[in-house]
Amino acid sequence: MTNVLQKMRARWKLVLGLAILGFFASALLVFAGAAGLAWTSTEEFCIGCHEMKNNVYAEFKGTIHDQNRTGVRAICPDCHVPRAVGPLLMRKMQASMELYGHFITHSISTKEKFEARRHELATHVWKRMKQTDSLECRNCHKFDKMSHELQSPKAQKQHAKMATDNLTCIDCHFGIAHTEPTGPGPGEMKFD
Amino acid sequence: MRNITFQKFRLAALAISLSTVAMLAQAQTVDVASAEALMKLSKCTKCHSVDKQKDGPSFKKTAAKYKGKPDAEAKLFTHLTTGPKVKIDNVEEDHTIVKSKDEAEIKNLIRYILSR
Repeated sequence: MTNVLQKMRARWKLVLGLAILGFFASALLVFAGAAGLAWTSTEEFCIGCHEMKNNVYAEFKGTIHDQNRTGVRAICPDCHVPRAVGPLLMRKMQASMELYGHFITHSISTKEKFEARRHELATHVWKRMKQTDSLECRNCHKFDKMSHELQSPKAQKQHAKMATDNLTCIDCHFGIAHTEPTGPGPGEMKFD
Repeated sequence: MRNITFQKFRLAALAISLSTVAMLAQAQTVDVASAEALMKLSKCTKCHSVDKQKDGPSFKKTAAKYKGKPDAEAKLFTHLTTGPKVKIDNVEEDHTIVKSKDEAEIKNLIRYILSR
């Protein structure tokens, strides 16, 4: 046996104590991480920043994803944070740039600054939607589980176009939760 | 001046022209906040965008269509308050009736649309 292993064998109680401690420390880290992910995925957390609360959240209030007949609603992460673990963690890491923008550069801290960048910010979301076939929409709106016969004739006809015209949800259903920016829409823009 | 009648006439003419200008100016102003609030309430943006084609024409398109036409406001008023049939993708639907009984509010919205 090597010198190190001999020493560990001699002080096995210490080694065992450290291992147990290490186990609980790791468990604590995992729980803290999970709790952090959960907390940063709440509506209250998102609207903690005035840029969100006074602009996009204020516009969201009263729209159909906020308030409707059944009270079934969507909150910020439902549409803006992926559910799959990998993309979720990626998005959370990316969100540290939002902290940078909020605390350091104040990039959209006033109404004017926000309005100036509204289209650009919308484009970020539209791009993701186009690239993922409107994944976050489909978290709740399952196309195959739609009772198409309950939809209006117009909707039935237009939804049928999705297959033939290579369309995704966001191509038509944009500017629903937040005020639509002026400028080209997702249907007109090309994202590679 | 000694001609009292002329003085009175001048004063009256001034009052009338000033109030006409004020009324005209008032008639042209658009309360954007009120128009946008009524739009949100009536869910206009479900089918209409300010500048993009959706199910319905964009407000820019409508404004261009009715530019210079004196009956624009009246036509649009009828359109918004009577819910006529419209055709979208060859499917007929009733146009939504604006969610307001306030004529001034509706006319403000129409002016908003026509000024995009």
